[in-house]
Amino acid sequence: MPGFSQRLSRVELAASVQMTIKARELKAAGKPVITLTTGEPNFDSPPRAIEAAHQAALLGDTKYPPQDGTRALKQAIQRKFRRDSNLDYALDEITVSNGGKQCIFNAVMATVDPGDEVVIPVPSWIAYTQMVQLCEGVPVLVSSPQNNGFKPRPEDIDAAITPRTRWLILNNPNNPTGACCSAGELAAIAAVMRRHPHVWIMSDDMYEHLVFDGFKATTFAEVAPDLKDRTLTITGVSKTYAMTGWRIGFAGGPKPLIKAMTVMQGQATAGVSTVGQAAAAAALDGPQDGVEVQIAAYKRRRDLAVEMLNASKGISCHKPEGAFYVFPNVAGCLGKITTGGRRLDTDEDVCLALLEEQYVATVHGAAYHMSPFLRISTATADDELLEGLKRIQVFCEGLRSI
Amino acid sequence: MSLTAERLDRIQPSLTIAISTVARRMIAEGKNVISLSQGEPDFDTPQHIKDAAIRALQNGETKYTDVSGTRALRQAVAEKFRRDTGIDYTPEEIIVSTGAKQVLFNAMVATLNAGDEVIIPSPCWVSYPDIVTLADGKPVLVPCGQNAGFKLRPEDLEAAITPNTRWFMMNNPSNPTGAAYSAEELKAITDVLLRHPHVWVLTDDIYDSLVYGGFKPGTIVAVEPRLKDRTLTVHGVSKAYAMTGWRIGFAGGPVALIKAMDKLQSQSTSNPNSIAQAAAIEALTGPQDSVEAMRKVFEERRNLVVKMLNEAPGMTCGNPDGAFYVYPSVAGCIGKTSKGGVLIKDDEAFALTLLAEEGVATVHGAAFCFPGYIRISYANATEELREACTRIQRFCRELH
Repeated sequence: MPGFSQRLSRVELAASVQMTIKARELKAAGKPVITLTTGEPNFDSPPRAIEAAHQAALLGDTKYPPQDGTRALKQAIQRKFRRDSNLDYALDEITVSNGGKQCIFNAVMATVDPGDEVVIPVPSWIAYTQMVQLCEGVPVLVSSPQNNGFKPRPEDIDAAITPRTRWLILNNPNNPTGACCSAGELAAIAAVMRRHPHVWIMSDDMYEHLVFDGFKATTFAEVAPDLKDRTLTITGVSKTYAMTGWRIGFAGGPKPLIKAMTVMQGQATAGVSTVGQAAAAAALDGPQDGVEVQIAAYKRRRDLAVEMLNASKGISCHKPEGAFYVFPNVAGCLGKITTGGRRLDTDEDVCLALLEEQYVATVHGAAYHMSPFLRISTATADDELLEGLKRIQVFCEGLRSI
Repeated sequence: MSLTAERLDRIQPSLTIAISTVARRMIAEGKNVISLSQGEPDFDTPQHIKDAAIRALQNGETKYTDVSGTRALRQAVAEKFRRDTGIDYTPEEIIVSTGAKQVLFNAMVATLNAGDEVIIPSPCWVSYPDIVTLADGKPVLVPCGQNAGFKLRPEDLEAAITPNTRWFMMNNPSNPTGAAYSAEELKAITDVLLRHPHVWVLTDDIYDSLVYGGFKPGTIVAVEPRLKDRTLTVHGVSKAYAMTGWRIGFAGGPVALIKAMDKLQSQSTSNPNSIAQAAAIEALTGPQDSVEAMRKVFEERRNLVVKMLNEAPGMTCGNPDGAFYVYPSVAGCIGKTSKGGVLIKDDEAFALTLLAEEGVATVHGAAFCFPGYIRISYANATEELREACTRIQRFCRELH
């Protein structure tokens, strides 16, 4: 067989996908598996989005769309940026992609040459480093330690920047930790970035609306309007409106960058599914009360998870500001033996033993570049989450020293 | 530091922008412009397919699916390949993407190293060489002249293959020429490919249901099963079912290649739109009579357009077997002057002047890496086509 490209060998299947597949196999074998690995809401898409898609199909909105998005959706996005973030983007400063993921992919592909560096605070979503490596760029990881609430320290970012740095990627609230920088914390990062005018800033705000306890998520360009001309603001409808399967993400940024991203997308996929675009416009423009219901549910589950995890022997769990993840530290479980006789040396060992002995699927922190942690998704029905957490407690209770 | 990465700078600026800009301006000024430049059917998506999408909406099929598409869709695709071509693919040998374009992009990015060569018969869809270039590869264009029906000659393929050749990529029937290969014609091509086991083979069959005059197109793997383990058979619902805006394409191929493409897609876009996937299942497995109905209409239009263009002085137009394009030569018009006093120095001048003076938008051949021709899409209402061809005839008659 003819061969494959070297760049592909730098890319791997996401650990969360691998764990989900393992969980599915166990489930198919009849095991009572609880899946806490998913990155998608367990709610339904808003009826108005479904109705808008329905109408679009009936009215014959089934032709090739413009590659950067329909005018109607871009106008809705313009209103959204203004309403939520006080940001003014012209229509040619906005582009629509197949998921927020493709916005990032387009931006990285359009700007990163071999050897260029991209500063990524970790823990982080694995896709960032993978995309950079796909472009033969170099991910430069900056630790966002637990004792800083899993947030990056401005001085660490400063130290990581070199003349080869192309991007700083911020993710607020963060996948996998749920941590979210405040406006003040972002301002401190902005002060650093002002000293490095050759660096683009990407603000991935996909989880922006999922924040709790009155916390308000702000975005980088809102905090530092003077840096707007080198900031790319990315968000989408997947998490806020439970529209993961529709694959609609979008970005606002300076016109030349948006144009370059659109050229890139033109070669990769062309435009975005028209019915999905119609649905997204309706979701953005309609009443936003469905979001409140979801936020209340995620907050309730976060509180439950943090409390029960902290009551588990060997686990300590930080309480995050947002998203639908918690990121408990499992250092206290390492060096122990499970009831099934497995020795736990890494967070991956913990993750696998938990799945095989208690049928609870999670993702290990190493997959997000920080160990020893687990990522637990609270985008799970309350009773199922409760059962999963109980089993984690049983698992920890059964650990014994060597 | 420049704004864009070097790879992006390699993509050539769109050659059709000048024409589409003028066309848009003329339309805005209230001029009567007939556009024969589009690459999509003028029909709407059949109702039963829309209904399936609506059922999916109502059933809450709004979540992430498998990156390579739902199992149900991959099974429907497998069934489609079996029914239409006799090729057996398992669902694991199939990937669904956001348009056939993403299938091509995935395949190239997953396999090309810097300097690898990809053989592309030309005229060709300009995205082929662009995607190859973007993936650090080197397009090797093999010209296929009008006197060979715009089809690749086996000896030219043989001569183009080197140790650096990674792919041979063909489009059957072809955009922009409509040329299509029968099984017998493909046999001569597959015989060459069999001798070069280091070469992947891609056949883009997205137009294969649009063939005329009883023509039956072949496809690589059906003609030569021994190439199956290195061939990617690309298809989609856009053209056959008038579903361009839904963005669903797919491919069958060896598991290792499909897996590699899946990995790449998982890092660039994830799954295609879940609702559109449900619609595609209905398109592939539901009643197929709309395909035949559209095909018949296209056939009447092709016959009309070919006849009328051959009556235009200076133009010669073959009678292609498929797709919804014809690719007439305008060689006999070059060097002449239009009624409005414009010198027709090349195919682009022909297209621009035709647009300015007669309000007919076409695409010039240079945009398909093969100048001296124009591409005419006949995905328009029949009466509109008749009017457009009448204008083209008048334009050509008045050249001096």
